[in-house]
Amino acid sequence: MQYYKTARGNGRYIGQTRSYTIYSDSIDSPVKVEKKPADIIPGELVFNYGPSTGGMIESVRIALSTPGEMIRSVAVDPTYKLRTIKLSGLSLKDAFILVERINGYHSSSYQAAFLKAVEDALLTEQNTGLDEELILQMELERIRSHLNVLERLCEPAGFGVPYHQIAQMREEVTRVISSIFGHRYFFGVHNTPKPSVRIPSGIVTRTKDIETRFALLFESLQDSKIFVNRLQGNGKIEKVWLVGPAARAAGYKYDARIDSPSLDYGRYGFEPYIEDGKDAFARFLVRGNEIFSSFAIVNQIISNGRPDQANLMNIHGTGIGAARVESPQGDLFCYLSINNGSVERIEFCSPSVSNIIAFEQSMQGNIFTDFHFNWESFGIWISEAGVEIE
Amino acid sequence: MNPVYFSLLITAVAMPVGIWWRKASYALVIAGSLEMAVFTLLGSGNLAYPLAYFSLIASIAWILISIFSMTYSAGYGKWLTPLFAMTVFGMMVILESSDYVTFIIGWEIMSIPAYASIGLNKEHWNAAYVFMVFSEISTVFLVIGAIFAVQETGTMDFRFQSLTSDLPLLLIAIGCMTKMGITPFMISEWLPIAHGNAPANDSALFSATMTLMGVFGIARIMLLSPSSIYLGFFMLAVGVLTVFFAALFAYVSENMKMLGGFSTIENNGSILAAIGLYVALGEGVLKTYLLAVIMIFALAHSVAKTGLFIGIGTTRKENFSEVDSSKNSFLTLGWFLVTMSLSGLLPTIGGLGTWMLLESFFMGAYQYGLIGIASVVAGSMIALAEGLASASMMKVLSFSQVHGHPKGSMKNSEGYVLLSTGVILILLFVLANFLIQPQFISGLPSVLVYNGFTIQSKFSAADFGLISPLYVLVIIIFFALAAYLVFDRRKGKLRIVPRWNGGVDFDQYYTSFAYASNIRLMLKGILRTRIRDGNRQMSVVDVFWFAMQSFASGYRRFARQFAYRVMNSSITWYMIYMIVAFMLVLILAFVI
Amino acid sequence: MRTTIWFLKGLRNGKKTEKFPKAHPEEPPLWPSKLAGNGTPECPTNAIEQGKWNAGKCISCRLCLPDYKPTGDQSSFRVSGKFPGILSRSFYLYPVDSGTCGACNTELLSILAPQFDASRLNIFFTNTPRHADALVLMGVYTEGMDQVISRAFEAMPDPKLIIALGACAISGGIIGKRPHLSKDSVIEIAGCPPSPYTILEALLRAREGKR
Repeated sequence: MQYYKTARGNGRYIGQTRSYTIYSDSIDSPVKVEKKPADIIPGELVFNYGPSTGGMIESVRIALSTPGEMIRSVAVDPTYKLRTIKLSGLSLKDAFILVERINGYHSSSYQAAFLKAVEDALLTEQNTGLDEELILQMELERIRSHLNVLERLCEPAGFGVPYHQIAQMREEVTRVISSIFGHRYFFGVHNTPKPSVRIPSGIVTRTKDIETRFALLFESLQDSKIFVNRLQGNGKIEKVWLVGPAARAAGYKYDARIDSPSLDYGRYGFEPYIEDGKDAFARFLVRGNEIFSSFAIVNQIISNGRPDQANLMNIHGTGIGAARVESPQGDLFCYLSINNGSVERIEFCSPSVSNIIAFEQSMQGNIFTDFHFNWESFGIWISEAGVEIE
Repeated sequence: MNPVYFSLLITAVAMPVGIWWRKASYALVIAGSLEMAVFTLLGSGNLAYPLAYFSLIASIAWILISIFSMTYSAGYGKWLTPLFAMTVFGMMVILESSDYVTFIIGWEIMSIPAYASIGLNKEHWNAAYVFMVFSEISTVFLVIGAIFAVQETGTMDFRFQSLTSDLPLLLIAIGCMTKMGITPFMISEWLPIAHGNAPANDSALFSATMTLMGVFGIARIMLLSPSSIYLGFFMLAVGVLTVFFAALFAYVSENMKMLGGFSTIENNGSILAAIGLYVALGEGVLKTYLLAVIMIFALAHSVAKTGLFIGIGTTRKENFSEVDSSKNSFLTLGWFLVTMSLSGLLPTIGGLGTWMLLESFFMGAYQYGLIGIASVVAGSMIALAEGLASASMMKVLSFSQVHGHPKGSMKNSEGYVLLSTGVILILLFVLANFLIQPQFISGLPSVLVYNGFTIQSKFSAADFGLISPLYVLVIIIFFALAAYLVFDRRKGKLRIVPRWNGGVDFDQYYTSFAYASNIRLMLKGILRTRIRDGNRQMSVVDVFWFAMQSFASGYRRFARQFAYRVMNSSITWYMIYMIVAFMLVLILAFVI
Repeated sequence: MRTTIWFLKGLRNGKKTEKFPKAHPEEPPLWPSKLAGNGTPECPTNAIEQGKWNAGKCISCRLCLPDYKPTGDQSSFRVSGKFPGILSRSFYLYPVDSGTCGACNTELLSILAPQFDASRLNIFFTNTPRHADALVLMGVYTEGMDQVISRAFEAMPDPKLIIALGACAISGGIIGKRPHLSKDSVIEIAGCPPSPYTILEALLRAREGKR
């Protein structure tokens, strides 16, 4: 480990992996967090939502304790679709195929965390070419992920036109990704023997066009009183343990792009966007504005032509590495120990775990109609929260 | 001798009989009530239209309650039955009284056993005290009002002697309103608290008929008094406020009997509002129409409220959360009809009453000046409250029935009583044409509605609104049958699939508390909704309740001190002493 | 000119829907698409055995490059069995996530994007299995969702279909084994994840079925 030290908690709290507590500058021994079972007060009922319901993209069961109308407490159970993914003992190449599929929608963040951990463990020199390519991947993914969140926010508001227009942009971004990386979800980009990244001609015009149209739409959404009213004051949270857009919407300048050494964003002049509304609307604004900053980075990279690519899959060696990257929903941490080219132990700390807890707390005292807006504003992915990695 | 007096005699006999033979006593009460109803219909007795209706209404309620009591009262000890008979006897005295003294003596005979049966039922005497305090306040006002009236007319007889001032009406109205649970005392909750603590048959008796005596008292003096716009407005304002708050508190009540109590207050508020409009108006068609409104509404309230408390009694429980009611289709149908009537829906007499009441305020809006404005405000408030009342009745209907079990604790006969109450509500609706003055009955022969089948509302020669009960019923039955026949035949083609709860078991049900929480949150300011302990618990604080409770407990403290000093004996004897003392004071007041 | 009326904004945006399925896909992805080639390259899911490529097992990992190459052909799905003609007018899908990585879920939702606009072809999503014609299974077998899936299928009215979407649901892919009900599926939409073109074409083919 070159960047991370095993020490007492240093820097902001990121979260827990199976055997460590992660801070922004160090990793520490684990803290046992016990979840108290929900108590039921007489006259109250537990409204069951899920695990299988059309309103949610993934399978998740949400139990809303309510004395009627108002939500007193929320318990999110992401374990219904609990997958067990066995990585230890696999070669880096085989493990990589599975790592991509921990959260398919944010696969490039997982790829980046994994690859940077490999680099940290086995290489002494930082490969800047790989960085640029990973940043391109991740920023495109961030644009698509944030678009998805905004799209999902329009849906419960019954805003059909912006909903479909954002869906259209999301599909266009996916096609841009597909044309650069060959796969719509970045799968297998780093497995190929030959370079699989290409920058087709005219792609910059295309991204700039999407950006212009999004700017208009984003402005119109902010002008819409009906839309803004649904989000303002909804799901306020200012607890200290927040990551990603939820933290930046609560006024914290938390962003692995500036406070993690894993990926070098310095040269793109990146500065995180901060809001202090603490509510769903602030998270909406943070996401919308991050789309612009991501487009700026993407356009810089693709204007320079094809980034370098490195194949780390056939490296042999032994070592321990750690990496932290900013996935679209917050800090994603990967701890990896490699023994002679195969994975000995691997642990992830994914942002959705923190976001689920933040969601649960922010929902208290809100009313039922706020539920969907607040849920979508956190952009939680169950596939990365309800997964066991061995 | 007037044949109606026989019913008094029979009921008097029922009192001692009740100590040993429960069912026989109830049978005697039924006989007494039946005889009273029959002879009132035949035109005997002291009362003529419109006051004769009160005897009729009360008799119907007594008969239904007594039949229900035969099985219900089994577990309540030997004193409940004689006290019940005594209360009924007291009310009969009120109805047949021809002078102020008899009226007030009847009032006391009615009230005294009521304290006792509330107190005997519960370990805490608190509820009985609250009931007693407000009863005695009411008596004090009645006595003072009567003294003024007697001074004015120079005679104790109150049958034909018109009053020249509105002061006796004001005082007697306040006395009666206390008994009805209205105005400052209104949300005092004495009524719901006291009723919540009484056995269900007593609750029915108090709610349906004891408060009716309050209406009777006001109506009796109202007919003798001159019209007075200020007194009228006072009653109207008090009535409308009562209607609104009572409907609101009924909706958020978790105790079923308390909900019934508030519903009673709400209905009494409506009647008082109508009385207020009557008192405010000068002579005219609308004034005559209002008499019909008061009668029909009181009739609907009393009979349906009897049904409501019988229904609550069948659950053998106090709170919605504990209900495990019996699944019985007769019971469900009875519940349905009774709650329909209390919701003000057709085809029941409650629907007709609500229609007539609202019509009278709509017509009031055509009056010039203040009365017009007041009518618009009052009408809209009452309409709003009626909406809330429908919602509370939905709550009663669903939460007392939905989570039922096939085997409950009630007897089948109780289901029949409730069903017959429901059927009576429909019958009264259909027969309402015979209960209303002929000047409001007409027809529309051009559309095959023959003369005598429609009820008109009007404030001048032309009609304002129309309703034809029999035709309404026929149309409803026709469409219901048609729908049943059409869909029943398609049974084979229906796709029936299991329920779906996100893929997991059903282990939670909607609660009655949650049902009313929308209003708790929306009207936070009025209901003083508090969310205690962070986000942990939602509760409603009732400001009126605080005021009244402290008043009652202050009285109780005083009384207890008095008891310790003077008697130093058991609380039961003290109660009896208090009552006797009070009656002595009354008699002295009249003698002097 | 800026307008605050969403309807006008929508009109101004113009028509974005592709001519697909009448015309060829405008921008078909290379991965996943039908693979063609020969030899026995490395394959972590044994999708290539004895020179034959099995679409249902392929996870688009690209390890078989350069022996096998993508053709861009999106029609990698299999439709078997008979379908009631009653579904041809409107086709309601109830998606169930048994254990996905999230990619199949979003690709399925993408068929509602204006480029594909499944609603114009009378394909809809429903929020409860009680209104569904077809259950769309996604992801690998997981213990928690097993009973939920069977309950969803029970709650559906007849006639009903099962659609297996994605490599995980068809064969278990690389993560695990396929969900139990997947063996009864009559439509298999291959890909990791299947592209919206594939999904849409398969759904249309299934719906046409036997009239």
